[in-house]
Amino acid sequence: MNFQKSLLSAVLALVLGGVLTMVVSSGTVLSLLTQAIIYAVFALGVGVLLKQNGMVSFGHALFFGGASYLVGIVLQLQLMSAELAILAALAVVTLAAFLIGLVIVRVPGVAFGMLTLAIGQMFFLTASRARGLTGGADGMNIDWPSRLFGFPLSQMLKPASMFLICWSTLVVVMFLLAWLMRTRFGGITEAVRDNEERARFIGITTLWPRAAVYALSALVTSVAGVLSALNTGFVSPESLHWSLSGVALMMVVVGGFKALWGPAAGAVVYFLFKDILGEHATHWMTIFGVALITVIVFSPTGVAGLFDRWVLGKKPSVKVGGH
Amino acid sequence: MTNYVLQAEDVAIHYGGVKAVDGVALTLEKGQIRGLIGPNGAGKSTVIDAITGRRRLTRGKVTLLGEDVSALGVVERRMRGLSRSFQRTSIFGEMTVYRQVELASHKMGVADSAADAQAVLTELDLWQLKDSTAQDLGYGEQRRLDLALALVGRPTVLLLDEPMAGLSVKESLDLAQHLKKLTSTWDVSVLLVEHDMDVVFGISDVVTVFELGRVIASGVPADVRANPRVREAYLGSAA
Repeated sequence: MNFQKSLLSAVLALVLGGVLTMVVSSGTVLSLLTQAIIYAVFALGVGVLLKQNGMVSFGHALFFGGASYLVGIVLQLQLMSAELAILAALAVVTLAAFLIGLVIVRVPGVAFGMLTLAIGQMFFLTASRARGLTGGADGMNIDWPSRLFGFPLSQMLKPASMFLICWSTLVVVMFLLAWLMRTRFGGITEAVRDNEERARFIGITTLWPRAAVYALSALVTSVAGVLSALNTGFVSPESLHWSLSGVALMMVVVGGFKALWGPAAGAVVYFLFKDILGEHATHWMTIFGVALITVIVFSPTGVAGLFDRWVLGKKPSVKVGGH
Repeated sequence: MTNYVLQAEDVAIHYGGVKAVDGVALTLEKGQIRGLIGPNGAGKSTVIDAITGRRRLTRGKVTLLGEDVSALGVVERRMRGLSRSFQRTSIFGEMTVYRQVELASHKMGVADSAADAQAVLTELDLWQLKDSTAQDLGYGEQRRLDLALALVGRPTVLLLDEPMAGLSVKESLDLAQHLKKLTSTWDVSVLLVEHDMDVVFGISDVVTVFELGRVIASGVPADVRANPRVREAYLGSAA
């Protein structure tokens, strides 16, 4: 898809979001959709890592909860304005992820996943015990000011406004990622993912692109963390827990990671399951687990892959070329 | 004194007590094709790995255009003009033909990477497939794409590890012709590891024979073919 088409799709998606807020009158439904969209951004971050680096993270909740905590702590200590706190949180998470990435992206496969899990759990335990700073296991409220970016917070927190903010963020993030993937940077990261050894033999130093993708995926995930902090006004250690990383990974698997929109679709499917099945079954996750196994076995490329095959008529690809 | 573009002196790669390559000396002159032959496990691919920096030298020295590159990594050697293809096809499966070749050209620092990519793809009869995804190409086309990735940026030395493996007779002959042409028109020197003896003896200026990690013979194709030790060790009496 070329730049103009992507831009047109993004504009249409933004309009669609506006129409949805007019059509859907139920605040509950809008709140549910908002939550799904926040997790869609989270899953997008996890998906970018898988799509561009071919790496699976079990610890991305660190960046989700980490961004929420950073904003919360900065506002609690009144170190800077809320707008700057948001930007600082995104920057700190991205930089930290890049530095962590420089070390851990050297490790391939399952070992990488285990490292992300270990680092994430380390911060989960730290947040759980640092009661004075984070509120410990009880979590902390986030002291948002009455106005944010010039808008009254009370207006922003209305279900329709919140949905529109999150939806617009998702669309903009997806558009920027789609643009980035078409740039030289996107080509380099694709090359490194496809065949790292050959990449070196065409003059690419492979460590930096891998670390940069890890940082990029953390940035996207931290955007979701900030949205969550804004939506709920609260953050607890659960937002750093590995199980949340697992949920995001499930969304990526269900939605598929080959297409950028796959993880977002997976998040929507997850929340639909949660909402519909949750009303009828206490252990709805068991049913979702069966669905997950079905997807992995019969459509490893997820919902996006099914769409490609059934709607666009694309053939499944065959992997070649690596060492 | 001959000015060699590539010179490997006393190259050794040892794995513990196993001497995969031991005391190998090789040279390449400008525009020359040197064939490397020998039985499986003789150390031919290991020598290519040693020269390109894929494996660390236990002992010895590799010189490219008079510069000692022994301590340099793979990327630095490639940037200086030392390029290679692999025994198994090594391409970027999910990228289009053009995108990966143009990217490689850009990374080589070619100012007009688009023109360079077009020239290389045209030379290897791949231009018409530029928008195809690499994994959708036929095997012969993938082998040529592998070669295209090695050729961008006009390398000084090209090390080819069994480029004809798995190709039909016609594809092998076509590729051999391309290689011969490249050495004269693009001033590329080639170190060719290949099991197809017709190709090796047909296009090489000099041939080096390996056995158990050591060079047992070296010279012009006719002399090597007639060498009794080579016939005994590798070619057999029918050669």
